[in-house]
Amino acid sequence: MIASLRTLDRRRVAGYSLIALAALLVGFGSAAQLRSKLVTPYNRVERNQALVRSVQDLERTNAVERGRIAALRGEIAGLEGDAARRSDRTRELAQEIANLRAHAGITPLKGPGVTVEIGNGRPSPDGQIGYLATYQDVQDVVNLLFTGGAEGIAVNGRRITPLSAYRGRAGTVEIDDGPPLGAPFRIAAVGNQGQMEQLLGDGGNLGDLRHRQREFGVRFSFGRSPELRLPPYDGSLQADNAQPL
Amino acid sequence: MSDLVKQPRAEPTRQTHRGVTLIIVGTLSAAVAFLGVVQVRSQAEVVRSLEGQDNTSLAFLIDDLHRANDALGAQAGELTARRDQLRLNGAADADPILQDEGQRLRVVEGLVPVHGPGLVMTIDAPLTRLDLEDAVNNLRASGAEQMAINDHRVITGTVFRQDGSAVAIDGDAARGPWTILVIGNQDRLAIGADLMVQSLRSDRRVRQAAYRTEPDVVIRATVSERPFVYGTS
Repeated sequence: MIASLRTLDRRRVAGYSLIALAALLVGFGSAAQLRSKLVTPYNRVERNQALVRSVQDLERTNAVERGRIAALRGEIAGLEGDAARRSDRTRELAQEIANLRAHAGITPLKGPGVTVEIGNGRPSPDGQIGYLATYQDVQDVVNLLFTGGAEGIAVNGRRITPLSAYRGRAGTVEIDDGPPLGAPFRIAAVGNQGQMEQLLGDGGNLGDLRHRQREFGVRFSFGRSPELRLPPYDGSLQADNAQPL
Repeated sequence: MSDLVKQPRAEPTRQTHRGVTLIIVGTLSAAVAFLGVVQVRSQAEVVRSLEGQDNTSLAFLIDDLHRANDALGAQAGELTARRDQLRLNGAADADPILQDEGQRLRVVEGLVPVHGPGLVMTIDAPLTRLDLEDAVNNLRASGAEQMAINDHRVITGTVFRQDGSAVAIDGDAARGPWTILVIGNQDRLAIGADLMVQSLRSDRRVRQAAYRTEPDVVIRATVSERPFVYGTS
């Protein structure tokens, strides 16, 4: 009796296992089949893998170089500080240069200000890309903030300088020597909060962004902060072709 | 006896339970497998979508990153030399190093007149504030180091306001025809300028758009220094 029960149990376990195995196979198969219809065929994807690896390598190098520049600027400031303690003339010069560096954006800046958020909206069924935040959106907001008296601006932690330029594809922005930044974009500006907020709230400004906010749900919001801390610029600020007269 | 009576009634119930259990086990296994495959493939897909959409976009990005890394390398080299000089000679060399740095920064911030190789672009059209902001950004992205529009020095941060048919540049009204003086690497600038001129010529508002390279462009206009009121280091 006991032996027959054990045989029965073994059969039952074997049955469950077979069913589970079969179900697993069906599950794997159907999922793979379904996804293979949705995902780009792998051989097509494989073709740009070498390019993707190049981009990743270059982005790593970019981060290392920017870190090196930030460290060197810190070391130089320390050495200049040592020299300034030994001479009044050097101290005067160092103060003058500190002011120029602050305006160039290569030292940190803190103070009251506003932050603006721009993010992608809803993809449209007809394939339009108007829902993606663009570098022009960032450019327009930064220019408006300068119009409102911004003294320093950073986009996703990347400081804007007097030589800054924006480029990029929809949904990303490249600023100067930095890697591509992806949406959402957070633009922080130190300066006159009232003036900047007034311009941001004026429906006559940022026409394209507001239109796409209505049409595609592109996200656009802003608010004030009692104290913002902007990081220093960590890229190249060389202008070798332009020489003083 | 009662067991014998109950036995036939219990058997179908047990079989039903077994069937339900089998169905549950099977469904759960299939669901686990399905979700497993979907998850793995979705992660791979996310990585792919983050890393690039098509080869052309990636090629442009690689070009941009190469140029950026070259510029960063050159800047790091210049800073290394400056640091080493300060380390070697200390206070004795600090003043000339600071003076050089000051002059470089005054150029970058548009505070002093400058000259150098570059190009001159002329546009006869009723350009708006947005057109000028885009032109400045396009030229800057093409390597412009210093610029002036109709004798107004322009940096990132220069304020353009529409003032009727005129555009106020940092408060001074300006109107077309427009002359943009640009200093920078001529080869890079020419590539950007070609694209801009092509685009401008297809614009109905534009009566004329052209540029010429110059070995020595002189920009005398300067930007006024604005002291910080709200920001502190």
